[in-house]
Amino acid sequence: MSGMIQVDPQPAPDFELADTGGRMVKLSDYKGNKIVVLVFNRGFA
Amino acid sequence: MRQEHDEFVKRGAEVIAIGPESARAFAEWWQEHRMPFTGLADPDHSVSKLYGQQVKIFKLGRMPAQLIVDRNGMIRYKHYGDSMSDIPENGDILAIIDELNGE
Repeated sequence: MSGMIQVDPQPAPDFELADTGGRMVKLSDYKGNKIVVLVFNRGFA
Repeated sequence: MRQEHDEFVKRGAEVIAIGPESARAFAEWWQEHRMPFTGLADPDHSVSKLYGQQVKIFKLGRMPAQLIVDRNGMIRYKHYGDSMSDIPENGDILAIIDELNGE
C-alpha cells in the first residue's frame, strides 16, 4: 500500500466554497488539524 | 463512501465532495440522500479548473477524481478515473490515511 502515496507531494491549491448548508468551507482551515479526502464527482444531481 | 463515513471520522479525516451542479440542485440532492460528509457545489467549476490546471487531475474531461491532502496541506495521493466507475476502493483510501496518521 505504501506505493500509493505520492513520492513528490505538491501543495493542494486552496479554495473556498459554500457547503450544502450555506456555510463557507476553506480547504486551508483543515491544515494542521485534519486529513482531507477530496472527491470530485462528475455530477449526481 | 457513505456507509463507511464513520471509518473516516475515526481516523480524523474529513471527506469533502465537490460537484459541478448549481448550489440549489446540489443541496437538494445532498439532503434527499442524507449524505453525512461535507458537500460543496462548484457551479462555475472554479475549483475543478484550479485542480485541473495546477494538479492536472482532469486529463480526460470531467471524470471522477480523489485526492488525499495531509495535515500540512500537501497532496499525498491522487487518483483520476478513466471511466465513471473507475473509483478507488474505500479500503485503499483508508489504508493511505492510516499510513499518513502513522507518520
